[in-house]
Amino acid sequence: MFSEWNWVAYGFYLLLNICSLEASGGLVQSCGHIIPESPVLALGSNFTALCILNESCLDFGNIYANQIIWKIKNKVVPKEQYREINRTVSSVTFNDTSSLATPLTCNILADGQIEQNIYGITVTVGLPPEKPKNLSCIVHQVSKLIYRMVCTWNPGRHTFLDTQFRLKYRWPQENFPDCIPKDVNNSCTIPDVHFFVNLEIWVEAANALGKAESDPLVLDPIDIVKPLPPHNLSVSSVLPTVLKLSWVNLITNPVMKLKFNIRYKIIGDTNWMEVPSEDTASPRTSFSVQGLQPYTEYAFSIRCMKEDGVGYWSDWSENKTGITTEDKPSKGPSVWRIIDASHSPDSWTLHLMWKALKPSEANGVILQYELTVRDKSTLSSPVEKYNVTSNNLTLQLPNGTYEVTVVARNRIGASPPSVLLIPASNSKAPVTNLKALPKYDKLWVGWTAPNSYVLKYVIEWCLVSSRSDCIIEWQIALGDVQGMDLKGIKPFKCYLITVYPLYADGQGSGQSVKAYLKQDRPSKGPTVQTKKVGKAEAVLTWNHLTVDEQNGFIRNYTILYKTIDGNETVVTVDPSKTEYTLSSLTSDTLYTVRMMASTDNGSRSGPDFTFTTQKFGKGEIEAIVVPVCLAFLLTVLLGVLFCFNKRDLIKKHIWPIVPDPSKSNIAQWSPQVSAKHNISSKDQMYPEGSFTDVSVVEIEADDKKTFSEQDLKPFDLLKKEKSTSEGHSSGIGGSSCMSSPRQSVSDSDEGETQNTSSTVQYSTVVLNGYRDQTPVQVFSRSESTQPLLDSEERSEDHTGGGDSTPQRQQYFRQNGGQDETSADRPCFERTKQITHANEGDLVGFVQLQISGQSSQPLGFGMEKSTQEAGLSNVFQTSTEGQTVRPETVEENPLSVHEMPKSYLPQTVRQGGYMPQ
Amino acid sequence: MAGADSPSAALRRRDLCTRGIRLVGKMRSDVIDLLDTYVERQGLDASASVAAVEGVPPAAVERWDEQTGTQRLLENLAAYRAFRVLLAQMLEEQREQLGEADAALGRALASVLLQVSAFAYHLEELLQLESRSPPSEEGDGPPPQPHLSLFEQKLRGLGVLRELAQWAVRSARDLRQLAKPSPGTGSAPGLAESP
Repeated sequence: MFSEWNWVAYGFYLLLNICSLEASGGLVQSCGHIIPESPVLALGSNFTALCILNESCLDFGNIYANQIIWKIKNKVVPKEQYREINRTVSSVTFNDTSSLATPLTCNILADGQIEQNIYGITVTVGLPPEKPKNLSCIVHQVSKLIYRMVCTWNPGRHTFLDTQFRLKYRWPQENFPDCIPKDVNNSCTIPDVHFFVNLEIWVEAANALGKAESDPLVLDPIDIVKPLPPHNLSVSSVLPTVLKLSWVNLITNPVMKLKFNIRYKIIGDTNWMEVPSEDTASPRTSFSVQGLQPYTEYAFSIRCMKEDGVGYWSDWSENKTGITTEDKPSKGPSVWRIIDASHSPDSWTLHLMWKALKPSEANGVILQYELTVRDKSTLSSPVEKYNVTSNNLTLQLPNGTYEVTVVARNRIGASPPSVLLIPASNSKAPVTNLKALPKYDKLWVGWTAPNSYVLKYVIEWCLVSSRSDCIIEWQIALGDVQGMDLKGIKPFKCYLITVYPLYADGQGSGQSVKAYLKQDRPSKGPTVQTKKVGKAEAVLTWNHLTVDEQNGFIRNYTILYKTIDGNETVVTVDPSKTEYTLSSLTSDTLYTVRMMASTDNGSRSGPDFTFTTQKFGKGEIEAIVVPVCLAFLLTVLLGVLFCFNKRDLIKKHIWPIVPDPSKSNIAQWSPQVSAKHNISSKDQMYPEGSFTDVSVVEIEADDKKTFSEQDLKPFDLLKKEKSTSEGHSSGIGGSSCMSSPRQSVSDSDEGETQNTSSTVQYSTVVLNGYRDQTPVQVFSRSESTQPLLDSEERSEDHTGGGDSTPQRQQYFRQNGGQDETSADRPCFERTKQITHANEGDLVGFVQLQISGQSSQPLGFGMEKSTQEAGLSNVFQTSTEGQTVRPETVEENPLSVHEMPKSYLPQTVRQGGYMPQ
Repeated sequence: MAGADSPSAALRRRDLCTRGIRLVGKMRSDVIDLLDTYVERQGLDASASVAAVEGVPPAAVERWDEQTGTQRLLENLAAYRAFRVLLAQMLEEQREQLGEADAALGRALASVLLQVSAFAYHLEELLQLESRSPPSEEGDGPPPQPHLSLFEQKLRGLGVLRELAQWAVRSARDLRQLAKPSPGTGSAPGLAESP
């Protein structure tokens, strides 16, 4: 079914095309058309279009008006806007053309719902032109004979259409061709106009939607002329105050009578002055400008317009310059002085200075200044005259009152004289209430006048700077003023201003004030540092900023300080100060401080400075140390006193009482023994191979009394220790390594080694040598541990170092095996050093070993075999010489076993030492 | 002279006279300039004597001060209508002779022609203020000129310009005379002023 309809539609389409071809005679011919064809419509109006179908198409395709669809730019127009007028005509109506768009097409919906375009039109929508408004014209003079009139108008709203504007003008009896604007729509230029006949001018605007005309403008073009300015302007000098201008007018008198404006100015000025207009209100070609300044260059310019003032002023002509001639100076120069009386109290160095005249006063080139100086103190003094070309003169004059006159001279003549009275002293009344205030860009100085009549005031000022001297500038003000503006004042600079009143008969003293034209914040801040830092206070110092750095009046200093983590504390300080003490600080704390200088216009900080408060305040250390020292001293003193009082007790503990051998009973036999012991050589002491020299100590009953039990206690202790440590030597003489008496017992080997050669002397007891007893040298075998240095020294003297060494070693070997762990290494090393003795010594050594064995307490000998076994290895690795010694020792066991019966100390060894 | 009674008419006449005087003043200035240009461009001698132009009333007239205002206006109008025809003829001849080669001379002639037309309009206005309708132009103007040689055309042009310059002087004097606030209809003699 669907395919059948398609075939029908396709056939219908072909039919339409065939119809079109036939109707157009071979070209495409549509089945209808739209009326109106491409209309131009007013924006906002209503519009109705008709689509008319051709009858031929009706016959072929059954196309009727009710099948027509209207479209605007492919958008279907709602069917409510359609109206079927008859079977071939359909209309569409738009109430507002603003909804229209191009193209508007008429389409037909044929069978099969195929939409076919029948016809289309282009719709142009716009606005009719508005009435041009504000028409105005001006006639520009182009040359002497050619005038062009330019008319402008307001074209009104945009019409969206091509709108033509025409400027029309005519005389009452003659029409002129229209003026058509080029590229614009609001102005037109009429190239040639004629004057003295009223011209009617209007603008016509036209487009497809209509035409509009402006209100006509009726005028005589002569009334709207903007003429060309006069040309060939020339200036000629007539008098010192008069210059004559001449020019040529470009518009002839019959056409237009002109009036003029003349303006002039001094070269360099910006403001023009004008010649009064009534002076130049009539036609002319020259004019003399009067009231000019002599010897001054002026620039002139001129313009013109119609005499009756109807029309426009021409542009100003080009400037033309002229110079007036010279005249004599109109006034004398202002003169002032600086008196330097520092050299001598009786004479002055008088610096006279005067200001160059302004050009308006000099009236020419000043050739020289003529000065006269008259001493008014003495009537007979002559008048001194000076001719100078500079603006100052320095004179050496005696102190006094002088009258100085200055005259400026140019080519024409001399100025009136300027007089300055220089009194010997400025004794007159000064001005009061001197103040200086910035006013706009100038520094205004004001004062209150003295009661007396003042001729004039001299205002001196200078820039105060630390880098340069104060160079004085000055200015004179009339006596009736009480203030003036200072010129040339720089901002942010300090000026010292002094005002002197000048009277007819003298001068008043100067009053000074410092001022700034404009202040700024200081260019740098003060550098603060500490002068002294205490525990809770710090003294800060700083230097004043230089005047160049201040940039204004320093109103105050601000000190800002804080700890690292604390809040900042602010202190304001008077600007006159250079030191401030910060108090209530925390001790031993790091503070950061900076300082800020402030003017009226701001502040600036100096660099940060850090300091740390002290831990102790002043005197605190002394307060602590002194009592401590005193307490220490007191303690020491008390200790000393205590020790002194308890010296006996202390002595007992520290220095146990050594049994006094002199008080032993052995002293009784000492004389015999002493003779026997008075041996100078070993040979004598030890006859070879004999141990016959055995002493027997007999203790008397009386002697027992000398030994208290206490005295014997240490010996008991010693005996106990010796008993617990077998093999210990007697320990007499103490140890060179161990100072303790107890240790000296256990370590007495070395002591013995040092006195090996005095083995015999060891048995020597000096009687009565202790506690003021008469020393009696007796010899006795003793178990005392007390060193007998004298005997040792003597024994050393007798035996010599070479002999003693081997014996010490021997002793060491005996004890080292017994208490190897307690033996000090230094002792051991020392022993080894000693073993470096030469071989020759070994002979003696062996001998001494033998003799030593004979005199050695034989209690040791029992242990010797085991000890030597332990130590032999040690010594074998030491030196070769030492390897002999064990052999030597091993030869002695027999002699050891032979001795006990006759050697008393054996009992001691067995049962402890008992006083005999 | 009904218009004289009305203040506005008097002002209008005064204005027309004033501007007419300035118009003829400018016209004379332009004609004098044009004369120099014309003599130069046409190769004529500035001192050449030219016979009176036929059809133009002479500017010089006896008993001038006895003329009435209307009479003055009518004589002026007749003269300037004649000048308008002659100048238009000269402009046509100048275009035929020089084509566009000397546009400046043509523009100057056209400018003078316009000024002549404008002054004629002034005169017509003044005549209307005098309650006199201006005469028709049918009978005015110079008679048709016989065919002249080129040189004769140049000489005649020179004569037209010279006569126009003289008429400009006279017209200014006539209008000044008319501008005087005399209550009469122009029978009262006015003061002679030089333009």
